[in-house]
Amino acid sequence: MKILMCTDGQPFAEEAIRFGAKFAHQLDADVTVLYVRARESGGDSIYLTTARKKMTEWNLDIPGIEYLKRAKQILTEAGLASPLHETETGVRKTFRESTEGGVELHLIGRRDERVRLKLREGESAEEILTEAGLGRYDLILTGSRGHQGFASYFVGSTALRIAEFAPCSVLIAKNIRKGRNFLMCTDGSGSAEKAEIFGAQIAQVLKARVTILSVAEEASVDAAKDQLRRAEMILAQMGIQAKVKVRVGRPSEVIIDEAKDHDIVVMGASGGSAVRRFFLGSVPLKVIEYGACPVLLVRDKPVTKRRASARAGR
Amino acid sequence: MGGFFRFLIRRRWVLAGFLLGGIILLMPPPAGLTAQGVKALAIAAVAILFFVTEPLPLPTVAILIGVFEVLLGITGPTEVSRSFISDSLLFILGSLMIAETIVKQKLDKRLALFILRITGPRVERIVIGLITVSALIASLIGEHTVVAMMMPVGMTLIASAGPEPRQLKNLSSLILLSIAYGAIAAGVGSPSGGARNAIVMSYWRQLFHLNVSYLRWMEYLYPMVLLQIPIVAFVLLKTFRPEVVDLTHSIDQLRVRVAQEGTMKARDNWTVVIFLITVVLWITVSDQIGLGTTAMIGVALYLISGIARWEDYSRGINWGIIVIYAGAISLGIAMRDTGAAGWVAQILLQWVEPLGLHGGIGLLFFIAVLTMSLATVMSSGATVGLVAPITLHMADLSGTSIVAAGLVTAAASAFTYMTTMGSPACGMVYSSGQLRRGDFLKAGWKMNMASLGLLLLMAFAYWSLLTFPVGVS
Repeated sequence: MKILMCTDGQPFAEEAIRFGAKFAHQLDADVTVLYVRARESGGDSIYLTTARKKMTEWNLDIPGIEYLKRAKQILTEAGLASPLHETETGVRKTFRESTEGGVELHLIGRRDERVRLKLREGESAEEILTEAGLGRYDLILTGSRGHQGFASYFVGSTALRIAEFAPCSVLIAKNIRKGRNFLMCTDGSGSAEKAEIFGAQIAQVLKARVTILSVAEEASVDAAKDQLRRAEMILAQMGIQAKVKVRVGRPSEVIIDEAKDHDIVVMGASGGSAVRRFFLGSVPLKVIEYGACPVLLVRDKPVTKRRASARAGR
Repeated sequence: MGGFFRFLIRRRWVLAGFLLGGIILLMPPPAGLTAQGVKALAIAAVAILFFVTEPLPLPTVAILIGVFEVLLGITGPTEVSRSFISDSLLFILGSLMIAETIVKQKLDKRLALFILRITGPRVERIVIGLITVSALIASLIGEHTVVAMMMPVGMTLIASAGPEPRQLKNLSSLILLSIAYGAIAAGVGSPSGGARNAIVMSYWRQLFHLNVSYLRWMEYLYPMVLLQIPIVAFVLLKTFRPEVVDLTHSIDQLRVRVAQEGTMKARDNWTVVIFLITVVLWITVSDQIGLGTTAMIGVALYLISGIARWEDYSRGINWGIIVIYAGAISLGIAMRDTGAAGWVAQILLQWVEPLGLHGGIGLLFFIAVLTMSLATVMSSGATVGLVAPITLHMADLSGTSIVAAGLVTAAASAFTYMTTMGSPACGMVYSSGQLRRGDFLKAGWKMNMASLGLLLLMAFAYWSLLTFPVGVS
């Protein structure tokens, strides 16, 4: 598995990396930490690159590296990487311009090539999405400030844009708690099934308790129960005993309500066309925005999606 | 579909720009302006919006200028391509190539040691040394070269000045801004000091058939470089009181680093020699063979001697900026040809007439303030490209010296001390992470005032005394 962890040096971002490190280590994942620095002016980027190269020649750190080094420290504490010593032979500190206008700095230790540190310049959501597209990651992990009353309206728009447009699964980590109670939401769709499998992998390594939730309208409670049984079976095959729960109401409201009693919500990226989402809003995005805990939004990577549609069109 | 919304969000300013252009095109031509003029004006308005908001990579804007000049029927394809390239553009390109060759060498470390040997460990003396050296080099090659070479020197000094660099905020600001402001203040010194100077020369030649030589430019503006050095030092030392005044430890650290490099190599020497040959040629023969060709002689020497490789140029040159300047000049010429530049100049003159700024030194003051304000919010090269045709016409219409107006436009566009995006120099030192935007404002407005005052004083009291007097009353 390839995981992209985003940091901006803020405590909540580093909390998210600490959270992700726990299961990344267990899953034996490749981890890339990305820091996005605001770009000054597009026209001058080549001059900045020249300045950076000179700074590297003089062995001076460029700004932002300290955040990446702190992230590396967190990963090291979680057992994911070995300590980084500047003087250690084999520590490469290369600087190069990368594709798609990014600027990358690789800080790679000798014995832990599985952790990479990258720096890009530009608008944070845009650059994270570009990196996600280039690196073919399975999961993007990003922190979010979480609810702070009225301010929640404005903050976290980066996280929301990543959740909406990312080409892969996204874990928005906010209000991280110690507990390990997973809430898996199913609606019987293919994407929900994918979410159950992906979520179960993580639940497994975290030894989490899992509750499966289906939200139904008054008339379709029976269908919802069927969906729950299918989901229960999938989890059982992976060795997880899950509780099941049916509730009646509007999906987003019910899930946000249930999220209060759980520590992470797992959902499939909702189906429905972009136009429908535009007018009605997407359930996962609402849960990410107003839910009280981290949300894992599971999405197929483009390749597998094409394969899946080929299978469906057979 | 989701991707389409993301695309729309990202490109909202592009849509706004095209909408603005469409509205201007649909408006009936105002009195005194032809239909062609309206088209040129529409392109200029959209280009300015794009240059300020940067919704697209800036070279794209320049490309669009050329495309729309043809599509709207302002000129033909041959004329547009001819207006894109000129001796001035070759000159800008050659200067960038020479600058790139110089940056690639390890001259910075020698330079650092040279400065510190003269200044000693006192902060004030180091600051004056940094400003002087930055200014003297930046007066001949682009400011970004100087800042790229001097910034690591400054950073090393700061890093080893005290236990915790974060606590040395004033010292950081003082040292890094010395480098940036020294370079910015000196960019006016010679035509090769900044592309904006070359753009003005190009307009003089193409719009008014005026030839101003490299040396003549230096006669007008080089004294300003020398006078600004003490001003920059005074302003910065008054604004940022350093936390430490003795940098002996830093200098020792720097010596250790330089010692690792060994003695100056033949390559470094030849880099400097070829550069000096080019400068001498610029001063002596560029009148006959053109500034661009002269620059290319220098570039050819670097390539033949093997000091520079073509790969360095294809990777290290800001090709985008060349395209931006080409597009801006092309638009300037179109604005002249369609009468749009003259029309805008007329309007502006009418506006400033009640203030008494419609001629002489008053007009130069207005031109300086206009250019300076625009250069603060967008790239100074693009500013000159778009503004100079108008300011030169204002001078022409009011009977003020066109040379003086051009010199003031070029010089004032360099006064971008206040923001981080006005000039590469400020952007680069800001990218070190040691400065806050407020620092630029704190010292920048004083520098803006001082440089502006000095420029007008030069125009008023000094330019009229020269061999080619430019009388301004």
